[in-house]
Amino acid sequence: MDIFNSPWLIHMLAKSSKTPQGRLLNLFDILEDWLLAPNLQKTSEFSYQTNPILVNYCTEQARSLGAENPSVLAEHIVLIAHSAALQALEHPSSNSLMHAKKAAEALIQAQTQKAGVYQTLKQTPPITYAITASILIMIGVGAMWLPAVIQTEKTELQRARIAASEAQAAKKTAPENKALTAIEASKMYAKYELMRQGTCQFPEALQIPDKHKAIYLENVVGGKLPADLDDLAIANAYLEKIRCNYTPMLMATSK
Amino acid sequence: MSKLREKILSTASLLFQTQGINATGVDTIVAEAGTTKMTLYKYFNSKELLILEVLKQGHQDFQTWLNDKLSANSKKPSEKLQQLFDYIEEWITSPDFHGIGFMKASAEFPQEDNPVHRLSNEQSLQFLDYIQHLAAEAKIKDAEGLALQLSLLFKGAVQAEQMRRGSDAIKYAKKAAKILIDGALAS
Repeated sequence: MDIFNSPWLIHMLAKSSKTPQGRLLNLFDILEDWLLAPNLQKTSEFSYQTNPILVNYCTEQARSLGAENPSVLAEHIVLIAHSAALQALEHPSSNSLMHAKKAAEALIQAQTQKAGVYQTLKQTPPITYAITASILIMIGVGAMWLPAVIQTEKTELQRARIAASEAQAAKKTAPENKALTAIEASKMYAKYELMRQGTCQFPEALQIPDKHKAIYLENVVGGKLPADLDDLAIANAYLEKIRCNYTPMLMATSK
Repeated sequence: MSKLREKILSTASLLFQTQGINATGVDTIVAEAGTTKMTLYKYFNSKELLILEVLKQGHQDFQTWLNDKLSANSKKPSEKLQQLFDYIEEWITSPDFHGIGFMKASAEFPQEDNPVHRLSNEQSLQFLDYIQHLAAEAKIKDAEGLALQLSLLFKGAVQAEQMRRGSDAIKYAKKAAKILIDGALAS
């Protein structure tokens, strides 16, 4: 079976993820599963030349995720998948498809570097994603009181707000709160500047006392502006505990 | 090495790269090199041996060129690793680039027990080893993994360029390599 030209592969990719990035990168997992599946003839050579169906499908995904040059990205990813699959057949222990996935991930990053925060968010695990996004929003609200904040930050924040819709924060306008001062806002802003450079984690969230859970969920994860300074203090305390890893995203998530 | 042997090798090399190995007959090679079949078979017993010699020579030339470039321009191992893709880009985008011998050969000779296939696989592994060696010198923990990632990027970019000249694949491969190397150096 020439898996690279099969409608089956496209079908598997299409249902594998809700994001175009996921649909591109799952190519490697699906191939690995396929190679491990029992009782299939896999020694048959893959077509070496072109895989137009797959390349077209990947080009569409590359376009949706905002790649600079979608067709080059798609072609390159398919070529990498192809040679990794060959290598996996010859040397099953080389883990080549998983390394190929990392290479592909780096290529996607290379093609979307200008997209900045938005892309970074898409690559992080869901919890991280919600936390980071909510911080962006809190800061975004704070930023409105800060005349020094430059205009371009806002467009990024707006994009981040859309991204955070899963956290049900995006559509709500944060209530205006006179108890929050510019100093608080700028502190959050500094935290935001730092956190956008890294991957942040807070697994202890599961052990938060019940009375704080609402604050954590609403204000830290949910991104709503705290009702008053007391709640802000609690939210900030949790923000402080969130650990961030500032090694580049790819390596941080790959361990 | 005799001048004539050299001439046959370089002619065959260019023809293999530009027309394909299987598509190039011995007649064409001797005509282009201005010699006779008898002379060709005197130096190389068969077309297969000629192909193997061309591959060996090409790989050696490439490795020597790359090694010289890297040693001449940087002393620190981590710098060498980071500059690897700069030189690969320089080489791929040069007008004389016709593809990588071992990659084309393994595509043209897919049968695993074929000597040409075996040699091209060996050369591919040698190149992987070379990158792994650079990575290990730069104190990268998973040198083997990084080398594999970089070689996949490299091979993909070369294939893209072989299919279509002026493909930007190498430009992005270089950026992606930097992301992977920086990440590995930082961890």
